[in-house]
Amino acid sequence: MSPAAGPEVVLEGVGKRFGTITALRDVSLRAAPGEAVAVTGRSGSGKSTLLALIGGLDQPDAGRILIDGRAVWTERHDARTRRELVGFVFQRHLLLETLSARANVEVPLIGAGMNHRARRRRALELLADVGLAERAEHVPAALSGGERQRVAVARALANEPRLLLADEPTGALDTATSETVLDLIFQLRDQRGMTLVIVSYDEAVSVRADRTISLLDGALATAPA
Amino acid sequence: MLNIVITNLWRRPARTVFTAAGIAVGVAMVVALLAFTRGLQKTAAGFVHLGGSGLGVFQANVSEPTTSLLPASLVGRLQKLPLLTRATPLLLVVEAIKAEPAAIVFGAEPSGFFTKSLVMVEGAQAPGGARAALVGDRLAAQLHLRAGGLVTIKGRSYPIAGIYHSGIYFEDAGAVLPLSVAQQLTGHPGEETDVVVDLAAGVRASSAGTAIERAVPGTRVITDPEQALRVGANATLISQAILVIVVIALIVGGLSVANTMAMSVMERRSELGLLSTVGWSPARIAVLIFGEGVGVSMVGAAGGLLLGVVGGRLLVGALGVSAYVSPAITAWGLGRGLLIGVAIGMLGGIYPAWRVTRMTPLRALAGT
Repeated sequence: MSPAAGPEVVLEGVGKRFGTITALRDVSLRAAPGEAVAVTGRSGSGKSTLLALIGGLDQPDAGRILIDGRAVWTERHDARTRRELVGFVFQRHLLLETLSARANVEVPLIGAGMNHRARRRRALELLADVGLAERAEHVPAALSGGERQRVAVARALANEPRLLLADEPTGALDTATSETVLDLIFQLRDQRGMTLVIVSYDEAVSVRADRTISLLDGALATAPA
Repeated sequence: MLNIVITNLWRRPARTVFTAAGIAVGVAMVVALLAFTRGLQKTAAGFVHLGGSGLGVFQANVSEPTTSLLPASLVGRLQKLPLLTRATPLLLVVEAIKAEPAAIVFGAEPSGFFTKSLVMVEGAQAPGGARAALVGDRLAAQLHLRAGGLVTIKGRSYPIAGIYHSGIYFEDAGAVLPLSVAQQLTGHPGEETDVVVDLAAGVRASSAGTAIERAVPGTRVITDPEQALRVGANATLISQAILVIVVIALIVGGLSVANTMAMSVMERRSELGLLSTVGWSPARIAVLIFGEGVGVSMVGAAGGLLLGVVGGRLLVGALGVSAYVSPAITAWGLGRGLLIGVAIGMLGGIYPAWRVTRMTPLRALAGT
């Protein structure tokens, strides 16, 4: 693990229900600054919900989540927290189909209010970092699955997040491409010292992570370290 | 942001074009009616200064200046007022010439300053007591009339004593009959439509108007074109119709934009959820949706302005008044059309933008 620039992530008794379904029950864990935590578990075990709550995409029904001591949601700074602190990578790349790779990477920077010229420069740098400098002006439809996911990684890094949340980032990719994308994510995490929480079925992820936790029916199946 | 607004509008070109077209029609109607009203105003200006007069005295509370009826004795009363130098009665006969319904026939005293101000370009003014007509050079050219020929007015033929030019559009596009003949023809003996007067030197039209209305109750003095329009119930109706059309355009256009944008928001929930995920604030996402609403309206408004310019001409043609009303397009008229278009987009964008702010990112991402 590199010298940590990432934040500490603390979950205290977090619970979440969707109607009658309990997605998470009393989950408590701590990710140290710069730590890479892999989250595993069967489908429907609550992995993605856990990630979404950490990232402030939804509000927990019970407990609280602290990022560097700052509560997510309760301070109602969720959009700002995501903008300033968090980068997301999803299984689906979720690129805007009408925009070029470069313009997609610029999207978070628009949200941050960065000017056009600085946005463009930063997007091109990030695309170079993920090996897509030559593909910057291509729209997603003209990119391969792996390339699209690399653009999504570049987009996640646009605002220089200290916490990277990846939800099955290789779930839709073939084995070789998965390796490339995982290499990229862990390499960037090492370079930048980000805290990483990554959800995956992939054994290769657990091998690369500093620690693995497992969820079963919305609760921790392995005790947090 | 602008780039995203444009690409989003272009993503579904047919929907954008149809929404913009609906707005364009609304804006075009407003622009065309404003141009028509402005044209009417210019036309009214011609009525105010008939015979080169300073102002016109009409009957108060009439539906239209041409329907005014005043007693012949009024001229004598007006001539006694110290503010005026001269006064002459006119009887306006509309739709009197079948071949050119827009032409106005003026019943005027042959010795009055109205008739005396006509410059004869062919023939001569008829001697007093003659039942002859004078024809304006525009009308003469249009109907191929000449001095010595005949002109049919309200089904009766009158010899043409001469062709005149006055420089005032309505006079040159009409004809003149002796007042007594016109009164007999219309069944209004001893009555006139208005009295045109000249003011004494240094007297302002507005103060003279007030003095006349006070001295002769039941009269309405028209001193400027705006006033002429306000006096006429038809013009008032047109003004009110414009207001109603503006309101309808705002409601229908606003609903159309709201519907389009609401559909767009529903279809793009996961995309909007993504924007939220990468840190866009609800307000910024709302601005994006709002901007798309305004964007489609601006496209519609631009088309509407062009359509309105053409529509103004079509409108006067459809109403059969092209002979004496020319639609007048003004910068302010176009500006108002544009403002209405933008207002439609702003109104229509409010609800979808508000809906966006109510979505949680997770549900939006899931598209639920």
